[in-house]
Amino acid sequence: MSQENAECRVPNAEWDCRAKGRRCLVQRISSPRQTFMSVHRLGRHSCPFLISLVLRWISSIILVCALLLIGVCTRASAAPVTAPSDQPDASTQDLLNAINSGKPPPPAAAPVESAPEHAEETPPQIQWGRLIVNFDYMLMTAAALGIAGSILGLFVLLRREALVALAIPQVVAVGAAIGMRLEWPTLPPALGLAVIALVYFALSRRWAASNWVIPSAYIAGLCLSFLIIANHGQDVEDLQHLFVGVDVAVSFEKAAVSVPILLVVAAACAMLWRRWLLLAQAPAAAELAGLNPARWDTLFLALLTTVILLGTYSLTVVMVLAMLFLPAASVLPWARRLPAAMLAAALLSVLFVGIGFYLSNTMNWPLSQSIGGTGFAALAVSHLLAQFR
Amino acid sequence: MPDTLIEVKNAVFGYGSKAVVRVEQLQVARGKCLGIFGPNGSGKTTLVRGITGLLNPIDGQVSHAPASGAAPSNAKAANLRISYLSQHRAIELHWPMSALDAAALATSARRLFGWMGRKCDDVLSMMRRLKIDHLAPRPFADLSGGQQQRVLLAGALSSEPTVLVLDEPTEGLDVRSTQELLDVLREFIAEGLGMMIISHEADDLMQVAGEIAWLHPAPVQGEPSRVEIVAPAELGERILQAGRSRE
Repeated sequence: MSQENAECRVPNAEWDCRAKGRRCLVQRISSPRQTFMSVHRLGRHSCPFLISLVLRWISSIILVCALLLIGVCTRASAAPVTAPSDQPDASTQDLLNAINSGKPPPPAAAPVESAPEHAEETPPQIQWGRLIVNFDYMLMTAAALGIAGSILGLFVLLRREALVALAIPQVVAVGAAIGMRLEWPTLPPALGLAVIALVYFALSRRWAASNWVIPSAYIAGLCLSFLIIANHGQDVEDLQHLFVGVDVAVSFEKAAVSVPILLVVAAACAMLWRRWLLLAQAPAAAELAGLNPARWDTLFLALLTTVILLGTYSLTVVMVLAMLFLPAASVLPWARRLPAAMLAAALLSVLFVGIGFYLSNTMNWPLSQSIGGTGFAALAVSHLLAQFR
Repeated sequence: MPDTLIEVKNAVFGYGSKAVVRVEQLQVARGKCLGIFGPNGSGKTTLVRGITGLLNPIDGQVSHAPASGAAPSNAKAANLRISYLSQHRAIELHWPMSALDAAALATSARRLFGWMGRKCDDVLSMMRRLKIDHLAPRPFADLSGGQQQRVLLAGALSSEPTVLVLDEPTEGLDVRSTQELLDVLREFIAEGLGMMIISHEADDLMQVAGEIAWLHPAPVQGEPSRVEIVAPAELGERILQAGRSRE
């Protein structure tokens, strides 16, 4: 027995540490009272251990079901793609010819056995090079959003600020709706409202009111954005596009604004990783060193708001949220240090964009949802494998 | 640098106009440890924030390095480096970090944007001194409570503080880990470090502290707690007396 395990033995009873590597629950005992306390402590710890074991298995089952669901969806979506959709079959073509020439249609022919090559006609080859060139601004912006979003998202999850990340896009959408309603460009009002929300969220933390302010902002944004442009024709559809993001196109102007800023924000957030760690773990030590935790928190919120604002402006809310949460959540079960976790999350986000783009074109799926679906599949696999590490 | 690092005279600390703690006289000196003892809610944290200059006194005066001629309540001008060691239980273990990252927290606080560079070597050498350098690459969450506390202590000491503030340093530690930690603290006090320890454990304070600031909550609601300076040898007897008088 190793020295470590030997030290974990109770002198009067042969109890070992329950598992190698787990913190020793049984300490040296010299009195009956301490014996009672130790046994009591052991019981108190073993119950959560069993609960966590059960929860792990339940979560594994849920993840397997989710993966199966994704598989079913993939097959269901793939079916129409293999069927010839644009080309009419032979009998339909004969019928059309007859109608065009004014002659009566020929009698229906007996079913022909030898037509599998027609039925199995392959869809036209996707020219990936041309497709990538056509969508280069969108791909560049999505990759930049992925890098910035995944790095910020890592800290969003670690700082337990997911609700803020969910609420800000809704506020941005209200600004966009105001812009649409007044027939202005959408960015300035969205930026203005995002700044107001940022200040309000920062103050609500100081007033200890963020637990109700942020969810309220989320639902208010969701309702107000559509109320502002209600009965305004095409704008309603545009706003729905902003949220759902079925078609994603990015112009050169949008990419030129968004890509550099997103990359700078990503670099700034990554370089400040020790600050975020310090503020989360030892705010008192930070204060004694002359730092102001509230100001640093506001800086983090400002970086997050910038990513969400530019992401929503260039792409869609779905893609922004997918990039914020999914790469980071996929990486976290395996992460041992923050720099490696940030790098892995950034690489994973670019991979999600690539796979999502491929699936979107081969399966005829909407792009944002393809990227989000890919991210969720990776997340499910990552967490499933992490259970059995 | 003078022997008296921080001096508090007739100060009242609190929030807004609400007084929480009243102190007549209190000193933190080089090579001495001041214990801060009192029940929950008696204002221990408020007192420490006041002594370290994070909270301005409502009344009275706090001088940092009073003989140096620096302005009162200005630790930076007095060139005082105050480090804070939080409880190991206060660390959020879901953050992915190595033991070295955790130890570097205190030093990174004093670096521009938290960048460490070669300062990591200082942290490592302090870990070596405390015989925990082999833990440096291991995930912090995988360490035992005693190891975690020693790692954080190494980090706080590597930032070369003039005054070290420890918040419940022995909370949740077994007897052996507690004793090892107290031995290390005694060693650094002997080398001239000024120290303040907030603790509920009278035994631990009696082993390390030179004098103890005992906070007595006011019997009347809304009145500030009173600080009494007690010698460590008297603390046990005074606790028993307080218990008897309550009965």
